[in-house]
Amino acid sequence: MATDSPYAIEVEHLTVSYHARAALLDVSVRIERDQLIGVIGPNGAGKSTFIKAILGFIKPDVGSVTINGQDVQKAKGKVAYVPQRGSVDWDFPVTVREVALMGRYQRIPWYASPSAADRDAARDALAMVRMEEFADRQIGELSGGQQQRVFLARALAQGSDILLLDEPFAGVDAATERAILEVLERAKKAGKTLVVVHHDLVTAAEYFDKLILIKQRMYAYGEPRAVLREDLLSKVYEGRLRIFGTVFKEKTA
Amino acid sequence: MIYELFIAPLTETYFQKALLGGSMVAVVAGVVGCLVVLRRMAFLGDALSHAMIAGVAGGYLVMKMLFGFEAHAPGMLLGSLLAAVTTVALISFVSRISRVKEDAAIGIMYTGIFALGVVAVSIFRHYIHIDLMHFIMGDILGVADSDLWVSAFVSAFVLTVLILFFRHFQLTTFDPIMAASIGLPVLLIDYVLTTCVSLVVVSAVSMVGVILVVGLLITPAATAYLLCDRLDKMMALAALFGVTSVVGGLYLCVWLDSAGGGAIMLFCTLQFLAVLVVAPKYGLLARWLRLRNQVPQQIVEDVLTTILRNNKQASMETIKHYVEDGVALNRAIRQMIQDGLLRDRQNVYELTGKGEQEAAKVLRAHRLWEAYLKSIGTPQEQLHPTAHRLEHIGGGTVEYLDEKLGQPEQDPHGRDIPRE
Repeated sequence: MATDSPYAIEVEHLTVSYHARAALLDVSVRIERDQLIGVIGPNGAGKSTFIKAILGFIKPDVGSVTINGQDVQKAKGKVAYVPQRGSVDWDFPVTVREVALMGRYQRIPWYASPSAADRDAARDALAMVRMEEFADRQIGELSGGQQQRVFLARALAQGSDILLLDEPFAGVDAATERAILEVLERAKKAGKTLVVVHHDLVTAAEYFDKLILIKQRMYAYGEPRAVLREDLLSKVYEGRLRIFGTVFKEKTA
Repeated sequence: MIYELFIAPLTETYFQKALLGGSMVAVVAGVVGCLVVLRRMAFLGDALSHAMIAGVAGGYLVMKMLFGFEAHAPGMLLGSLLAAVTTVALISFVSRISRVKEDAAIGIMYTGIFALGVVAVSIFRHYIHIDLMHFIMGDILGVADSDLWVSAFVSAFVLTVLILFFRHFQLTTFDPIMAASIGLPVLLIDYVLTTCVSLVVVSAVSMVGVILVVGLLITPAATAYLLCDRLDKMMALAALFGVTSVVGGLYLCVWLDSAGGGAIMLFCTLQFLAVLVVAPKYGLLARWLRLRNQVPQQIVEDVLTTILRNNKQASMETIKHYVEDGVALNRAIRQMIQDGLLRDRQNVYELTGKGEQEAAKVLRAHRLWEAYLKSIGTPQEQLHPTAHRLEHIGGGTVEYLDEKLGQPEQDPHGRDIPRE
């Protein structure tokens, strides 16, 4: 998309508070296009608030969020969202095909039915994540990795340049993690910017081009080697650093 | 006889009206009920119906005091709607600003407003002529023409809204975060849905009564839920089940000479229970059959290792000697032949190449477990039986044991541990 801003997402001095407690404090970050970005930080660090802000759900106390050079409130649908697996009702009566089609809902006028073009786009998106053959399954009948891929397909069908994924690797096995990562890499090559909330520091360096380390405030943004530094992590994760020994070992190896 | 049972009631005007009014309400209640069930708002339907009494009393009073109308139907309808919306607003207000969670807030608010209605009706009993019993129990056999009109308008309106904005309701129910992210007015859609539910509840109360109305809302929808994997089909089926409940219930009520609302809900519930048992995918019977047909992995593995230990072929007698006998065993062997693990040579079972591989894996697990158990000081005679139980555990345990024991070559009995 041709815009004057070189950045996909710009967050400027973002401060968000709930009941006089700061969830985010003076967070500023500029995310370049075509990157695979990991967002890391301990539980309750404001990662989900950060996501909500990028989706435009939160009215910040101070600061602004800009998507492709446009204020987030005017950029509805420019950021496609892939929810955490735990937050989806897997018993919902909906098929894989219908979920992919939801990615097109924004383009369909309220009085019209989904057109052939919409259905094609949904099918193409399913093909991209290799889920075509499951199109008529109810979503609860899939394995964890397949479920994740269906929602990825929905985000791809949406046609947004920016994808936001909430813990896509939570609760899936190593092989599935690889498969999902491969789809993310392909989406990146297709010109998408992906922002992924991630909890595993050990794999963070390997998976992502850049990392964002937050805990209320922004601690670091940059290449994994610059972010996964012992001094930074010990500040953010406090006493729980012991278990991260392997992170540093791998880095020096 | 058949005429007496089925046709005769149809000639009665009261029965025709009940059938018509009931069906209209049931269709729309079924359709909107699907969203109520999927959004887990069942309790809200209950709350709305109870809140209505305050609205009806208020509407009655206002119309009588201000305009002198007695029992003005549109006034009471508007009053109930207002009361319903107020209740919803109060519920969300209380659960948002205090630490009281939503279910408790619903409980507090609807009983509170119901109580307000009951007190108002009894204080103003000289002005308001409302039969509380009628309100609570409903009277489908006494449906008036005005009730029919109300139901017709409500059904048409709500159905139109739901069909026109089907995708909006679907997405806000399934994934409200995505709905908001593409700019759908989620809050507005929630309020529209609540209003639709209130309208349906208000028009249904005069027929089945306050207490049963929530059943008419959710039972047909839940019945359909057991049969469908798509929301549009679920809505269509729920409408159908709503109508069959009304038809079946009305006949039941005429035959048994019982209360109309009660008969309808009883029929509706029986219908649900019947579907719960026989539903092809999510029914109890299907579940039971699935469980029964499942071949326990443990038996498969036991058969494999038995044959492997017996020089890769064994008769049924030999297998039965080592593996727990039963229907599951026969099924397991059939399944294993189908999966290409075994070959049947005149009642002597032989391992295929694939079967041999699988068997070696289990044997490896067994011997590694024995080695591990020995290393933690398990008595010799318990090694085999304990390892026999533990060898079926999956998920990387075998690799862990192998690494921890330093990749041993032999088990405690001096037998080779097969490599991967």
